[in-house]
Amino acid sequence: MSFLGRGASSSNQGGMNTEKLEMAMTELDMVTDVFNRLVSVCHSKCINTRYAEPDLNKGESVCIDRCVAKFFEVNKKVGEKMQAMGANATAGGGSSFGSL
Amino acid sequence: MDFSQFNSAEQAHMNKVIEKKQMQDFMRLYSSLVERCFQSCCNDFTSKSLKSTEETCVMNCTDKFLKHSERVGARFAEHNAETMGASGSQL
Repeated sequence: MSFLGRGASSSNQGGMNTEKLEMAMTELDMVTDVFNRLVSVCHSKCINTRYAEPDLNKGESVCIDRCVAKFFEVNKKVGEKMQAMGANATAGGGSSFGSL
Repeated sequence: MDFSQFNSAEQAHMNKVIEKKQMQDFMRLYSSLVERCFQSCCNDFTSKSLKSTEETCVMNCTDKFLKHSERVGARFAEHNAETMGASGSQL
């Protein structure tokens, strides 16, 4: 992710830049969390629980592809919405949360 | 993920963290598979042992889940490559 792409490590050479490591670990946690949620939500929406065959059938495969794409779209939309909400809250002096 | 800007000590530390995480993920996968497949395959408790239909159901369930998560992983990686390709670092 973009916030990892800062310049080369300069603070305390030889040792570890704990701040940077902390960020990388947080990012790793975030990515795995999204992935795990994606797996479980698309499984419950796309996979037939009769389990008649061990392979994904065509319908399920297509469903998974669309499910992942849609999940990311929703992710983006909600993110934008919340960003707008945040902007409104700071602009309106914080009281606008009551009117939601 | 791209850790190329880390020094060797930091990379070693990250590798250790990732290794630990993978172990945890594996154990979590195991328990979640047991729960998921038990939940959808075992609904009849008139006998103590798994019937053959239940057993094939469980086998199909685990197979299918792994294939499912593989496919989700592939799409996930594609999406990440697409969105992060522009900013230089990729998953």
